[in-house]
Amino acid sequence: MTFEPKIVGFLCNWCSYTGADLAGTSRIKYRPNVRVIRVMCSARIDPTFVIKALAEGADGVLICGCHPGDCHYTEGNYKTMRRYPLLKRLLADYGIDDERVRLEWVSASEGKRFADIVDDMTERLCELGPSLVKSALATDAVER
Amino acid sequence: MEEPRIGVYVCNCGTNIAKVVDCDAVAEFAAKLPGVVVARSYKYMCSNPGQEMIVQDIEEQSLERVVVAACSPRMHEQTFRRALETAGLNPYLFEMANIREQCSWVHDDGAIATEKAQALVHAAVNRVARHEPLERMSVDMCPNTLVIGGGIAGMTAALELADAGKRVYLVEKQDHLGGNIARVDLTAPYLDSARDILTYLVTRVLEHDNIEVMTESRVERLDGFVGNFKATLGSLANAADGNAAVDVGSVIVCTGYKEFDAARITHYGYGKLPNVITSFELERMLRQGRIETKEGRPPQFVAIVHCVGSRSEEYHSYCSRVCCMTALKYAHEVKSALPKSYVSDVYVDMHAFGKGCEDFYRQSSEVKTLFLMYGRGEHPVIRKADPGDECGMLIEVNELLSGETVEIPADLVILMVGMEPREDVDDVAHLVSISTDKDGWFIESHPKLDPVATTTDGIFIAGACQAPKDIPDTVAQARAAAARILARIARGKLVVDAVYAEVDEDRCSGCRVCNELCPYVAIEYDETKRRSHIISALCKACGACVAACPSGAIKARHFTDEQIFAEIEGVLE
Repeated sequence: MTFEPKIVGFLCNWCSYTGADLAGTSRIKYRPNVRVIRVMCSARIDPTFVIKALAEGADGVLICGCHPGDCHYTEGNYKTMRRYPLLKRLLADYGIDDERVRLEWVSASEGKRFADIVDDMTERLCELGPSLVKSALATDAVER
Repeated sequence: MEEPRIGVYVCNCGTNIAKVVDCDAVAEFAAKLPGVVVARSYKYMCSNPGQEMIVQDIEEQSLERVVVAACSPRMHEQTFRRALETAGLNPYLFEMANIREQCSWVHDDGAIATEKAQALVHAAVNRVARHEPLERMSVDMCPNTLVIGGGIAGMTAALELADAGKRVYLVEKQDHLGGNIARVDLTAPYLDSARDILTYLVTRVLEHDNIEVMTESRVERLDGFVGNFKATLGSLANAADGNAAVDVGSVIVCTGYKEFDAARITHYGYGKLPNVITSFELERMLRQGRIETKEGRPPQFVAIVHCVGSRSEEYHSYCSRVCCMTALKYAHEVKSALPKSYVSDVYVDMHAFGKGCEDFYRQSSEVKTLFLMYGRGEHPVIRKADPGDECGMLIEVNELLSGETVEIPADLVILMVGMEPREDVDDVAHLVSISTDKDGWFIESHPKLDPVATTTDGIFIAGACQAPKDIPDTVAQARAAAARILARIARGKLVVDAVYAEVDEDRCSGCRVCNELCPYVAIEYDETKRRSHIISALCKACGACVAACPSGAIKARHFTDEQIFAEIEGVLE
């Protein structure tokens, strides 16, 4: 069976979740690999959410927020923008491939863009293969 | 953890969900999840029988939590929360799984979509088990309204509110009221005078005791929340006037449109050929009562070109809606002013959708207008006529109905420029926290169920700032927005969402990291207790402070770490 990556998507309520809904109302087809979790703002996304998703077996994590300057809460996405590189650096230290965690800006009118991002990320993760985080954690637990 | 008793309802949405997702299989899957005591699949959960099913199950099966797998929560979360309230259950003990917009409508493979729907239901069940009953806050509704824009939409909305005895602040950027309608002569399809409509409105607005008109002004800031906004208004004419602050409960954005810049299309020669003019330039001539060429002569041949900037791949893909009927209006007005002139109307498709418009189209054929149809994606070519020709210009059209390439004479060419969003649309969107669509128009809460509200509670939109529209539709929207606000004012109190952040003072270390993060200054530091706390009425629940708190002392109500972790586990199991 071909590998179908699992992507957890954290989408802000105002822009990106609405954008993903618009892909639906516009009947734009995309790969079924993303499972969306709605948060009010991308700034709510605690780094532990991303780590938790990887630990639970996600092959990738997609974070989507409003475009810079467009945040419903004025500046929440700027906080996300600053926190994200720190998280990426931490993940790199643990050997997690850069492409497994991705931050994208999707506005409420960009249904097509959301679909394209999901397709592209799915494609990239297919090439990368399954994430080993969950199984590594399980082995680690047994060894202890 | 002892699982609460959960009911799961899988909506078929007619066939919208059921034709891709196996709803029965999703319900069977849900029935086996921990805590689930009832799981059903039903044709339309949002219908009355659907909602009654939930109410009845809550009562008979002592349900403590409810999950509905259906459309987006942005669509029907409130509907189902109300159903829970009817059954005496706290409305926050509810969760939706979005298996339509984010599943059945975007995937084709039934087996895969069903599996995804099951994962989403699993997440919702996990999450709802950790939901807590929340009490909503009741706040006072300030009866004043801020209307941004003094065109026909803004004036109409202001009058509707003011006539009901409510105070209105009407802010207009220009030094006079009227907006684009002040630039128009007659209106289609009944050829009423725009000036009559305008004079009536402006006079009433200026004389009304309940309307405070501020021309040459702008809204500098908007703070607060629904029912309790504070607007800072500044003068554009004189910065020394300083800013004024007013309290308002609601805002209606009526900022209208601007016309497409015809100079962007080079092949029509606008700006180079002196007698190629825009529709608004002809309006000016009509209002002055003199149609003439740049040489000061009445034109013998007048040509009207449709869809300039509209319905095109290069410029705007949308139809501007008013230009076809306005073009016919020009045919009538030109023929009436210059009975010996020849008018040709070069169109793509004739959109005569409004009341009275089809009749108007027929009448226009009777006044001997020559209609020529060109293809979408093509364009007529305008060139200067040769010396000795009887006309100033020649227009070459690949005429679709005859299948022939024809050349028609013209002394005056009128370009029917479409509508586009104003250049400051993004500033306005930021100011009041609303979104724009791909074309730059403001997005309504729902195109059919809630067309004048926005996703920001208390902010309404009316008129062409939402999308191109004619005067009747604009007036209807303006009055609708005013009616929505009046209904709220009549209730006196507003119930606001119970979702906000709160600090556990026992865990707060007083580090003050959160203090600077809050864009709403909702977090206060208590010097004596050395703890931070959140003023819930000011908090808008973004959760930026929650993710930043190093002590994990801030809880985002309804979006707690525990709830989101449960959701993550659910989607991945």
